[in-house]
Amino acid sequence: MQGTPYAPQRHINDHYDIVGFISSGTYGRVYKAVSKRNTAQPAQPVKHPLSGRTIEAFAIKKFKPDKEGAELQYTGISQSAIREMALCTELSHQALIHLVEIILESKCIFMVFEYAEHDLLQLIHHHSLLPRTPIPAVTLRSCMYQLLSGLLYLHQNWVIHRDLKPANIMVTSSGAIKIGDLGLARLFYKPLQALFSGDKVVVTIWYRAPELLLGSRHYTPAIDLWAVGCIFAELLSLRPIFKGEEAKQDSKKAVPFQRNQMGKIGEVLGLPKRQEWPLLQSMPEYSSLASVSLHNPAVNRPLTLEKWYRNTVQNNNYSGHNSSPPDESALDLLRKLLEYDPLKRLTAEQALKHPYFLGPDSNGKPPSWNCFEGLETKYPARKVSTEAHEIGTGSLPGTKRSVLPDDSLLRPPPKKMRDG
Amino acid sequence: MAANYWDSTQAKYWTFTKPELSELRHQLTQHHQPTVSKFHLPDRRHLSIYMQTNLIKLARRLNLRQQALATAQIYIKRFYLRVEIRRTNPYLIMATAIYLACKMEETPQHIRLMLGEAARQWPELGVTETSKIGECEFAVISTLQSRLICHHPYRALGELQGTFGLGTEEGTLAHNIVNDCFNTDLPLLYAPHVIAITAMFLAVVLRPAGQMGGSAAQSALAGFAGLKQAGPKLGKMVDWLAESEVDMEAVIDATQEMVSLYECWEGYSERACKEAITKFMREGK
Repeated sequence: MQGTPYAPQRHINDHYDIVGFISSGTYGRVYKAVSKRNTAQPAQPVKHPLSGRTIEAFAIKKFKPDKEGAELQYTGISQSAIREMALCTELSHQALIHLVEIILESKCIFMVFEYAEHDLLQLIHHHSLLPRTPIPAVTLRSCMYQLLSGLLYLHQNWVIHRDLKPANIMVTSSGAIKIGDLGLARLFYKPLQALFSGDKVVVTIWYRAPELLLGSRHYTPAIDLWAVGCIFAELLSLRPIFKGEEAKQDSKKAVPFQRNQMGKIGEVLGLPKRQEWPLLQSMPEYSSLASVSLHNPAVNRPLTLEKWYRNTVQNNNYSGHNSSPPDESALDLLRKLLEYDPLKRLTAEQALKHPYFLGPDSNGKPPSWNCFEGLETKYPARKVSTEAHEIGTGSLPGTKRSVLPDDSLLRPPPKKMRDG
Repeated sequence: MAANYWDSTQAKYWTFTKPELSELRHQLTQHHQPTVSKFHLPDRRHLSIYMQTNLIKLARRLNLRQQALATAQIYIKRFYLRVEIRRTNPYLIMATAIYLACKMEETPQHIRLMLGEAARQWPELGVTETSKIGECEFAVISTLQSRLICHHPYRALGELQGTFGLGTEEGTLAHNIVNDCFNTDLPLLYAPHVIAITAMFLAVVLRPAGQMGGSAAQSALAGFAGLKQAGPKLGKMVDWLAESEVDMEAVIDATQEMVSLYECWEGYSERACKEAITKFMREGK
């Protein structure tokens, strides 16, 4: 590059003080930061464009350069980072994590987000500590309402999230739900390539929709609604509803049939049937479905979602905790989200109109945008480590970002140059 | 964004008025006065035609789609609104823009493949390490401020073709006109549907004249000979536009820009462009 007239305009260390380390993943690391304090002139407060409030703290996602240790090289930015950068720059909604800025500096990418004190996984953990307490019905309703509002916005903008799970749904200290981690999200308006051909594996296994488990080549935003159903169930019972084990890819890079996960779903819902899901037979893994009951006979006598719900509500012992249980409409919403046939599954828009959100304990008002409203519980703040190497990556199943390291996405090009 | 162009970063940050555009360019020229006066360049549209021709060659080698090509061209247009072209290696910018556009349009190409094909296509590239493309990618994304999602006229073209009753030939012609629009400032000035409508309007008007299978350029230069024959279809279009809220002034201006492009195309010399670029690449610092 001659003359390099494109020096980076901003330096991360000129503007932010790192408070500590939050987490790490395949993409890189996330740090908590605040605006730089000891500069000559005090920093301009950073305002949220939608709410106008000042952003006090930041979560900085630093994308890992491909090779660590060796001298850093520009290797091309991963597709996942490109997606997240472009989508977060483009999108803006109160139920979506707000991107403050992106700084490209010395071969690293820093995405600066507003900081959120909690996430849904933290909330679930907090309630599952002894003495175990259920998430109050009002909080649950607000969480679901905000989550679906954010999801509706994404879908209206032709974006499928493809990795919804409790850990990716942030909660601010003022009770606002913020969908985060758009690293797997992508546009689905007339894609140049079938969605399947881009990323063979999407969505963390426990939240993966049945059409994905059955190898569907063309999927729709409905996969996000299945994940929302799973999250709803998890917020109710404080544990994943379909906690299967992921079958790993073999050496041939073939995508295996997720028999165990399908079995876990079957234990509650029974296996999908042609009568209920007309296109079931055209699913690539349809023939594998029969093998599920051989390995897991429980799918032949499923618990049923109704029974699951009754048990959950009973175990939650709401009366013992001075809070009323969710009403029957919660079960109905859950059932319509955990619908096998993606064509029959509720859309985000339909889900938001579900009677659950105008239930008896809501007094006819839509749910609050503060999920902590009227709550006495104080949730512990996010753990921030000042020692970067202290925190492990944990044992939760992750989502494969791609089969190969991102920039090795070498595959035969499409046949012809065709029109967009 | 994808659903709503008006909320997009393209509409908000990368669409300008003509005075704004010329002011931006003026500032850039001022800022690099010695370099600018040292190296004379052909008409901006000629340079754009040169780059498009070269991008198409590379795209064919890599079997890329039109949409990725269009996105790459937008990146280049935006980039050169912020960075003086004489201070860059345009071949590296082109290779990088394509590399980035392919990722953005979900048809990623390996960086080594990209470099290999670009180097074969353009001996002038002078780059042998993939890290150069990687470095340039950072520069491009920084300069574009990560606003990488582009809205192209192709979608509106597809949607409105039926409404206006365009035949296959007219459709193809309109499509080619949209391809040609990337050599003008139109993508920096108007909404994609304005450009699509302009293209369809021109296609309907020009097609009868260009029936001999000529290009849009030939048709345009033959004048609006087909205007009368296009009667009924044109009437339908005008009626539709009258009832719509489409910015007609914009459509008229865009039409003029396109006609002017085709006139300008007559004087295009590939050699002149190539030599001008080689000169500033060799002698510039």
